[in-house]
Amino acid sequence: MDFGFSEQQRDVQNLARQILGDNVSPESLAQYDGYKADRFDKALWDKLAEAGLLGLAVAEEYGGMGFGFFELALLIEEAGRSIAPVPLSAHLVSAALPIQQFGSAAQKQRYLPGVASGQIMLSAALTEPYNEDPAQPILTTATADGTGLRISGNKTAVPFAHLADRIVLSAKMGDGVVVVLLDPKAAGLSMTPMQVTTYEPQFALSLDNVSIAAEDILASADSGREVMQWLTERTSVALCAHQLGASDKAMRMTASYTAERKQFGVLISTFQAVGHRAANCFIDVECLRLNTYQAVSRLDGGLDASNEVHIAKIWAGDVGHRVSYAAQHLHGGTGIDRDYPLWRYCTWLRYNEMSLGSSAKNLASLGKRIAAGEAFCR
Amino acid sequence: MKVEFTAAQDALRKELRSYFEQLMTPELSAECDEAMGEGGGPLWREALRQMGKDGWIGVGWPKELGGRGMSPIEQFIFVEEVMRAGYPFPFLTTESVGPQLAEFGNESQKRDIVPKILAGECLIAIGYSEPGAGTDLASLKTSAVKDGDEWVINGQKMWTSLAHFCDYVWLACRTDPDAAKPHKGISMFMVPTSDPGWSCSPVVTLGGVRTNATFYDNIRVPADAMVGELNGGWKLITSQLNRERLSLVNFGPTAEMFNNVVRWAQQMEMPAGGKLIDEPWVQINLAKVRAGVEALKLVCYKQAWAMSEGKLEMADASAAKVYGSEFFIEVYRLLGEIIGQASLINRKTEGANAMASRIERLYRTASIITFGGGTNEIQRDIISAAGLWMPRATR
Repeated sequence: MDFGFSEQQRDVQNLARQILGDNVSPESLAQYDGYKADRFDKALWDKLAEAGLLGLAVAEEYGGMGFGFFELALLIEEAGRSIAPVPLSAHLVSAALPIQQFGSAAQKQRYLPGVASGQIMLSAALTEPYNEDPAQPILTTATADGTGLRISGNKTAVPFAHLADRIVLSAKMGDGVVVVLLDPKAAGLSMTPMQVTTYEPQFALSLDNVSIAAEDILASADSGREVMQWLTERTSVALCAHQLGASDKAMRMTASYTAERKQFGVLISTFQAVGHRAANCFIDVECLRLNTYQAVSRLDGGLDASNEVHIAKIWAGDVGHRVSYAAQHLHGGTGIDRDYPLWRYCTWLRYNEMSLGSSAKNLASLGKRIAAGEAFCR
Repeated sequence: MKVEFTAAQDALRKELRSYFEQLMTPELSAECDEAMGEGGGPLWREALRQMGKDGWIGVGWPKELGGRGMSPIEQFIFVEEVMRAGYPFPFLTTESVGPQLAEFGNESQKRDIVPKILAGECLIAIGYSEPGAGTDLASLKTSAVKDGDEWVINGQKMWTSLAHFCDYVWLACRTDPDAAKPHKGISMFMVPTSDPGWSCSPVVTLGGVRTNATFYDNIRVPADAMVGELNGGWKLITSQLNRERLSLVNFGPTAEMFNNVVRWAQQMEMPAGGKLIDEPWVQINLAKVRAGVEALKLVCYKQAWAMSEGKLEMADASAAKVYGSEFFIEVYRLLGEIIGQASLINRKTEGANAMASRIERLYRTASIITFGGGTNEIQRDIISAAGLWMPRATR
């Protein structure tokens, strides 16, 4: 057991923190507020690619650095700390990882070098309207069409669908689930921009008998469900890592603010009611950190992490909610002022909390596993 | 970073678990129950000596001190398992004062007391609080006055738990009444409870556990009864408390209790058919406990790891103490709700369910550690100042 970072992990952390710190600021983020512009910083994307960070977890033979899921999660944590305007989680975790794990040699050759260089952008369509289980698509169905497929249906909240070169998408086929790499320009596909709380570009997809070539099938009906579970688990943990970075930053912003703001002639941090609320955030963030790292560590080591992922996501939801509210409250009016950077964090904390299963939903899933005797304390 | 146990750590835990299955005889368990989970009985003492003989008490201690030379992580695994087995382990002696003596004690303390601790033959109580000095510990008045080569100790301590069967009190005394700041005039002493000037009277608490008021009437101790430097006691107190905090929130017993309640709820038939564990609210209560225990486990392991790296952070030790102590209260409530009214039945009732009556008792005792070991308000002060660099009020 080792809670310290390896030298390699420290390097990733420092490099990511430096690039994101130098290139993301309240001013740069302000240009995307209210959907004034696409929340995507192409120059930053290229810098991340150039530094090798987009290829962190891509195998060396495809131009990546060949590191593991732990290093990738540390990058996502830093993206959360800066709430960087780049779709790292969708591109790298929900899409590139399953291609590398389950894709054919041709698919890997076709996409992974571009993933690492940043020349290809990938995304994933994980949810349908009112169906948030990526491994159980209901509204989207596939039928065989020669060696390929025809897919019809609806997906919602697909990040960066308009810029992506391929979108990982699941569809119900008979009793099984297929997973395909959808070309956003395919005939029969239409996308409608959505406005969501974070101002991230997201789209509703409508598929009307869209043709999928055999070469774009990532998993056939007998294995697609497992592929979707595999990538959902990792995407959930990526949300936790993003939440960790964002909540840590919101907490520290609050600590700094209370150490500067005076009332009654003294710093407000000297009031115990203020200090104790911040201390609660510290404990919360530490619990989120350790549970997130545990889930990451197990997935990185190829171990079963079913319970640990649920638990990490429960903490991500609860901690995000509590830290967000405490940070706003301790800032007073400043916290909700759109000229001060905190509010953007609050929208992301909410997004991470609610995406791919809230705390309540994960508690229920964990409870079922406990009842089935699958979650005893070791 | 690798959060999982190594194969060797897994093997150690397995070995310890079967060791304690052997050690915890029904007679010993009954004696421990009778002692309200604090030990002190003859079988309890015999078992402690056995652990000492078998080399477990010092598993994570350096070899030159008589330990097995493993790290604080292995030491924590041992304590987790011994507490999980339901044995009231004297961790104040072995996990907090003992290591302080090993690090800061003089030659005679290292030679005479430390080996006895590792052999399970020496027990130490902690004498900090006084009737007028609780959270503001530095205002303590118990005095030690130099007289020739000896120190003469006078005063009264409160909440000196376990003192009625301990060999020594690790005692905080004022040695400089004129110090510029009160905490700079305090020194630590090892005071034998066999001294005729020492006495104690019981204080019975809500949980049924006995604690003590202890009295120090002209006790003369030699110069080498002092631990560390003259007027340097405060540093020893704070680092002892940091160590104590980790032991206070050991998650082993809670993990075991969770497992037992799950097994019980899997068996319990509902009047209208089905099992208790099929109830959604039962599953949610259990899931809340499970998610909370996992965090506690990681918080504890991280600190054991930090100790082995020699970098235990004050804010982390305080965070563990606050989180663990408040979580325990929540656990006893959540699990008590599942068990229902049976969790109100004292174990002395004929036919009482052992697991349920344990919760009856623990719920009564749980509040002790939100203020004991340094009240949680002070811990939160430490966290915001040391963990978040927030300036705090001067006191």
